Amino acid sequence: MIRRFSAPLAAALLLAALTLRGADAAKDEVDTCLACHEDKSLEKKLPNGESRSLFVDRAVFEKSVHGAKLGCTGCHPGYQEMPHPERGAKDLASFTASFRETCKSCHFANYTKALDSVHFAALSKGNTVAPFCADCHGAHDVARPNEPRTRISDTCSTCHSAEAEAYSKSVHGKTLAATNSPDVPVCTDCHKSHAIADPRGQTWRMKSPETCGGCHTDPVKMGRYGLSAKVYTSYLTDFHGRSASLIAGQKKQAERIVAVCVDCHGVHDIARVKDAGSKVLQKNLQATCAKCHPGAPPNFPAAWLSHYEPSPRKAPLVWATALFYRILIPVMIGGLVLQVILHLWRVVVNR
Amino acid sequence: MARGGEPVSSYVVRFSKKQRAEHLIVLTLFTTLAVTGFPQKFYETHWAAVVVNAIGGLDRVRFLHRMAGLLFSVATIFHIVLITFLALARKTGMTMVPTLRDFQDAIQQIRWYLGLAEAPAKFDRYDYRQKFEYWGMLIGSLVMVVTGLILYLPLLFTRFFPGELIPVAQVAHSNEGLMAFLVVITWHIYNAHLSPDVFPFDTCIFTGRISEERMHHEHPLELARLTGAPEEGSGVHGPASGGTAPPA
Repeated sequence: MIRRFSAPLAAALLLAALTLRGADAAKDEVDTCLACHEDKSLEKKLPNGESRSLFVDRAVFEKSVHGAKLGCTGCHPGYQEMPHPERGAKDLASFTASFRETCKSCHFANYTKALDSVHFAALSKGNTVAPFCADCHGAHDVARPNEPRTRISDTCSTCHSAEAEAYSKSVHGKTLAATNSPDVPVCTDCHKSHAIADPRGQTWRMKSPETCGGCHTDPVKMGRYGLSAKVYTSYLTDFHGRSASLIAGQKKQAERIVAVCVDCHGVHDIARVKDAGSKVLQKNLQATCAKCHPGAPPNFPAAWLSHYEPSPRKAPLVWATALFYRILIPVMIGGLVLQVILHLWRVVVNR
Repeated sequence: MARGGEPVSSYVVRFSKKQRAEHLIVLTLFTTLAVTGFPQKFYETHWAAVVVNAIGGLDRVRFLHRMAGLLFSVATIFHIVLITFLALARKTGMTMVPTLRDFQDAIQQIRWYLGLAEAPAKFDRYDYRQKFEYWGMLIGSLVMVVTGLILYLPLLFTRFFPGELIPVAQVAHSNEGLMAFLVVITWHIYNAHLSPDVFPFDTCIFTGRISEERMHHEHPLELARLTGAPEEGSGVHGPASGGTAPPA
């Protein structure tokens, strides 16, 4: 199955490699393996007719994060044996799948997190294009995934091109491109890198205040961009936020949908609030509300205080009403309780 | 002195069947509205989640709250229309209308509590505390009905009124509801259950009957009017004259 392969030569080289000890062992092992695998035409033919190139580019591997530290058998255990272990794969997909556990022995935590991901769920259901370790990180060319940070969205865009395109035009994507700042969220900040949850369900939607709140409650981070860090609390005290809190605490799945951050602001296409295309800009707000409140009249968006806390300047009527009750309730209840106490006192005195 | 729940041989019928029914309806709806409303106000507490789960989710809590609210609105509007009609037709006494005398009574009563007056104030059919609670309840109910309907139908409301009135309605509804609840658990529970005059339970609003002895003690002026003899008389039966208003 492996063509142009000289078994005696490979065996001799392997033996030589294994007798060497010390810091050069990894490099020597690589030399041994590359004696064959530097051949660009080396390939594995699979029973169904598919094939997989077995060529390894020395320069690429040496530049990779593993290049200086690991030899070949670190990831391909048992391959010092000749002939190499038979993997019994019928097609390319199962051949690739047979290497999936390779990373586990060193990267156990991330490996197990990935088992909880939507990607692994898809793989388990037989989706052969769903990615696992090497599909995102590469194999012989493994590099730091976040250097530069734009590399992360580039990686995801391999499959999720529409989302990546929308993201690149969003306030987050544009700021990232301009500053490369760690403040700016990339795909994995919201979706996580290994335990990537299914974003299509209610669970993920309802988590969005928490997801966005991770950054948007940080006064230092928000201060750098002139943004309020109170958007999360002001959301929670409003009708939508209250409903979201109560739904989060209930066992039964809610029938009615309640607006969370992304419903008004968008998801990958989040725009600066003051941009002409922003869904939450005053003139666009009626249409945004109407997504959930069909037929919302022009006055309707003003029912939402735009994340402002009521004050004499913003929403003075709301502020005054709250103040009125803050005075009335203690005066009323205090007065009534005082009368009760006086009455009881008189009863006791008269006895 | 005969207490609220004890059987008495000599009694006065204080509340008509309609008044007793009104009290029961308000009692039921008020409780339902409080149980389904407060988890929405105190959304961040643990007990709010417990109540929501016990009822079967927020959707059902809101449904019950809105249905009870609609029934409460009907009851409130019915009451207001009826007393207005009866008052205009002069078919009801103005016993629930606050007068100058109520303010004087309040002052005398408090002076008596403090030991500054020799005797407590003498009351007619409704004392100043009952009038205060009745009118507080009526005004509070109107606030709850109006703000509740605004919150129930925000799309309709904002066709005619500014949107900012919706958060105003929300703040008013939430606080007015809290105040009503606090008044009930302090003032009303004291006057109907915990007060030494009626402890443990003033059954009058459920049976309609009040002992003559209590009438003598609590409503001497009304008793005098009914019997035609100042603070005397016995064996008075049949509905007492007076408003259709439920008692405070």
